[in-house]
Amino acid sequence: MPSYDVIIIGGGVIGSAIARELTRYRLSVGVLEKESDVCTQTSGRNTGMLHAGFLYKTGSLKAQCAVEGNLEFDAVAKELDVPFKRTGKLIVGFTEEHRERLLTMIERGKANGVPGMELIDRKRMDEIDPSAGGNFAIYCPTSGILDPFLYTIALAENAVQNGAAYHLYTKVTGHEVLADGTHLLHTDGKGDFTCRWVINSAGLHSAEISEMLGIPGYKIQPVKGEYFVLDKKAGVYAKIPVYPAPTPKNTFDTHATPTVDGNVLVGPNSFNVDDGEDYSVRQVGMDGLQESGARMFKHMKRDYYIRTFAGARPKRVDPETGEIQDFLIERRDEVPGVINLVGIESPGLTSALPIARRVVKLLEEKESLTPNPSFNPVRRGIRRFHGLSAEEQAELIRENPDYGEIVCRCETVTRAEIIAAIHNPLGVCTVNGIKVRTRASMGRCQGGYCETRITALIREELGKAVPDVRLGSGDSYMFTGYVREGEQA
Amino acid sequence: MKRTFTCIVCPNGCEIDAEYEGTNVLSVTGNLCPKGKAYVTQELIDPRRTIASSVRVLGGTMPLASVRLNRPVPKDRIFDVMAEIRRKTMKAPVRIGDVVIDNVLGLGSDVVITKNVEKERA
Amino acid sequence: MIKRQAVIVGGGPAGLAAALRMKENGIDDILILEREHLPGGILRQCIHDGFGLTRFEESLSGPEYAQRFIDRANEAGIECWTDCTVLDVSKDKVVTAVSKVHGFLQISAQAVLLTMGCRERTRGALATPGTRPSGVYTAGVAQAYINLQNIMVGKEVVILGSGDIGLIMARRLTLEGAHVKGVYEVQPYPNGLPRNIEQCLNDYHIPLHLSHTVIEIRGRERLSSVVVAACDEHFRPIPGTEEEIPCDTLILSVGLIPENELTLGAGIELDPRTRGAFVDENCQTAVPGIFAAGNVLHVHDLVDFVSLEAEALADSAARYLKEGGLTPCPLTVVAGSDVGHVIPQKVSGTKDFTLWLRVRRPLNGVSVVVRQGGRELLRKKMRKALPAEMIQLSIKAQKLTQDADVEVSVE
Repeated sequence: MPSYDVIIIGGGVIGSAIARELTRYRLSVGVLEKESDVCTQTSGRNTGMLHAGFLYKTGSLKAQCAVEGNLEFDAVAKELDVPFKRTGKLIVGFTEEHRERLLTMIERGKANGVPGMELIDRKRMDEIDPSAGGNFAIYCPTSGILDPFLYTIALAENAVQNGAAYHLYTKVTGHEVLADGTHLLHTDGKGDFTCRWVINSAGLHSAEISEMLGIPGYKIQPVKGEYFVLDKKAGVYAKIPVYPAPTPKNTFDTHATPTVDGNVLVGPNSFNVDDGEDYSVRQVGMDGLQESGARMFKHMKRDYYIRTFAGARPKRVDPETGEIQDFLIERRDEVPGVINLVGIESPGLTSALPIARRVVKLLEEKESLTPNPSFNPVRRGIRRFHGLSAEEQAELIRENPDYGEIVCRCETVTRAEIIAAIHNPLGVCTVNGIKVRTRASMGRCQGGYCETRITALIREELGKAVPDVRLGSGDSYMFTGYVREGEQA
Repeated sequence: MKRTFTCIVCPNGCEIDAEYEGTNVLSVTGNLCPKGKAYVTQELIDPRRTIASSVRVLGGTMPLASVRLNRPVPKDRIFDVMAEIRRKTMKAPVRIGDVVIDNVLGLGSDVVITKNVEKERA
Repeated sequence: MIKRQAVIVGGGPAGLAAALRMKENGIDDILILEREHLPGGILRQCIHDGFGLTRFEESLSGPEYAQRFIDRANEAGIECWTDCTVLDVSKDKVVTAVSKVHGFLQISAQAVLLTMGCRERTRGALATPGTRPSGVYTAGVAQAYINLQNIMVGKEVVILGSGDIGLIMARRLTLEGAHVKGVYEVQPYPNGLPRNIEQCLNDYHIPLHLSHTVIEIRGRERLSSVVVAACDEHFRPIPGTEEEIPCDTLILSVGLIPENELTLGAGIELDPRTRGAFVDENCQTAVPGIFAAGNVLHVHDLVDFVSLEAEALADSAARYLKEGGLTPCPLTVVAGSDVGHVIPQKVSGTKDFTLWLRVRRPLNGVSVVVRQGGRELLRKKMRKALPAEMIQLSIKAQKLTQDADVEVSVE
């Protein structure tokens, strides 16, 4: 039976940040993730914003963690070799009422420790981004954009590199505490695991897991949001994330955000759902996004659609009033060996490492931790061909001729990158796993050219039979068999 | 009897209004060429089609070679012909025009290779 | 930097035909760059017959049609570098490409021939609501799996869109034992050729539902069903007509888009009607010495016409290389009423030329009329005109003057 000092339930950006921070110490760390990869749910289904921290109540964990996470991110991105752009952000207003709310927001930003926020006029807005709608705006220089898939993957890979073990397709179904205080976790088909510490970072399922671990009474309200992904042809017009003035309830309506790769995300809308894992996109949702998106982004049009997606934010709400609550990070003496995280939603990406450090601190209250002398915070990602200079590309092909074979034409992803992704440290072997690691099939043809090549490479490199190729999580089989049976290569 | 046919002989795809008794065509209109009338006559007597498919190739640079029928076969025998094609395995190399099945099911049509598949270099 | 007289981007039917005709015109220094492992383009996976009926008066399969050109190109000693992807074509005709064998390449060409073909519209472009399960394929991707890789994509199949590849795949999947439950087309008329409706759907009793579309995709892992509905004339689903159809596979055949990323990179403007470059009667783009033909220029329904167009391009490109330039084309060709698009968009008025056009909607008993300054140049009566069928008209130079634009309309 696999046994660890610490088991983390949920390998999203929070679980992976915790795993990475725990490997700084002499601890064996196991991560149990029920999906096929670490970024298939909330961690991968969002806007990819590095938030500045002005939106949250002063003194809240959300405010503290976001500001802390924001200000350190240049160093983090460099350490983990992940794409990041500190673009700044515009929060635009049209009316006097909006102006009032924006001024309040600047005050709160200051109180939270967000540097450099200012109210600017249309003229300055045109200098910053003429595509942005609105008459005036807050300019917040510290906001940024990152690749939520690659950031989550980088944290997980760095954890693995430093000794953590990931168990994918491993859903925790039960929990017992043995006589000696050891935690025993049952899983769906992957056997039992034991550990001294259990950390709940189960996102959408964090209230259920909390109850399973002996801390009942929390409620998660999944709040779903739908998005459009626009072609890079629209991306040339989007220089900076543009948000509307907040609603009276201090939430944001549809916004347009450039991605680090040059696309544009329009969304999310926001509505409560019962099932946070239902990622279907609705016609009414898209109609609404088209309309509201066009107010924020003048180039929002049908010709630029390349994809839609949905995500859900696991908001912790008061079970009685339904009021949205702060992040919860707790350790209770009466439930020994459990660290409980409930309702980690936006700004979770920005806050992941600050949250992880708080978890380490809670654990340290109970036992002294010895530093891991071989811990290496530096992780290297797959070297990308696209975006390099002609000389660098030529050099790369000389070093490894597989860089000379383009597999994904839209995003210019080479065979070398695909092969590196297939042999990723987490052992993810789905088509979607290759996609988020390389961007292959994320372009305008959505895999029309490269998908057949990627599935062939997965089969060749991993020796998989045709019926065993999966798109993503669960039994998402791609193929039903062979056209002609008989001896297969 | 009257019926409208879509001629499949060429990409023009003429819509042909035909008047006929049994298998005897009385008149046709709408066809751009005489092949239209012949098509309608054939459709009434004995509709025939060609089909294309693939055969498994062993030891080749590709797993399949495409094949087609070099003459049409009765429409209602298409699935019988498919069963024959499915049973066939070839060894690389194969060349365009190679006959996979001679006179398939005695229907007067051959199954022929339509793609060159080279031998895989070991 | 390598120097070449002519670089051809894409070794599919257009590129191969253009190369051969250039050679016949005495241009020897030709290089084809092909990103696939073998030349032939999309024809390699189009194993059905019906190709070459006008050119060879035979009904060939795609691979056979392609092989005739490949064999001739080999005999003529035309160089074709395969596994070689072009990354950029610049305004001054420097072609940047990469390959495993040749490494990072920069080739300076006197003429660049763009023959990259087209790609398929995707679910993303349609923004079809629902989940994102496996089992949703564009028709061309399904065709590649089945005909090239020996892989079967599904068992219970629904097809959205009645483009020719979708119809061909309906038959192909049926022959291989899948159950094709129906083809749904949002337009009130089919998008594919009538003969394909007949021999791919009707022959196999596959129902075609016009004015219907898929309004939702269901299933979290593998596709489990689609919801279809009837649509009104604005393509809006009609409430109450929804029907859920269990299936494990959805094939999309919802249109082809010329693949013009390289064209745009060269600073060449695209015609929003064709989504290909604006070209003159010589298939020359606004950049002298850069030419385009085949599906990259406008999507054809027959490969025979792709070859024909590419050969016309090659004649012009060869003349360009020999004479150092071509006659200017100041006259604009305007697409008038009910004309979806027209190629070329510019003509000289001093040379015979071929007009290629598509009508915007199915029409019966109409005439296609070409006029210059109100003067009728040509009138072609048509019993029926379908958007699925490209119309070709030959215009004689002697009828043209130099003083007015040319307009094509359907009346």
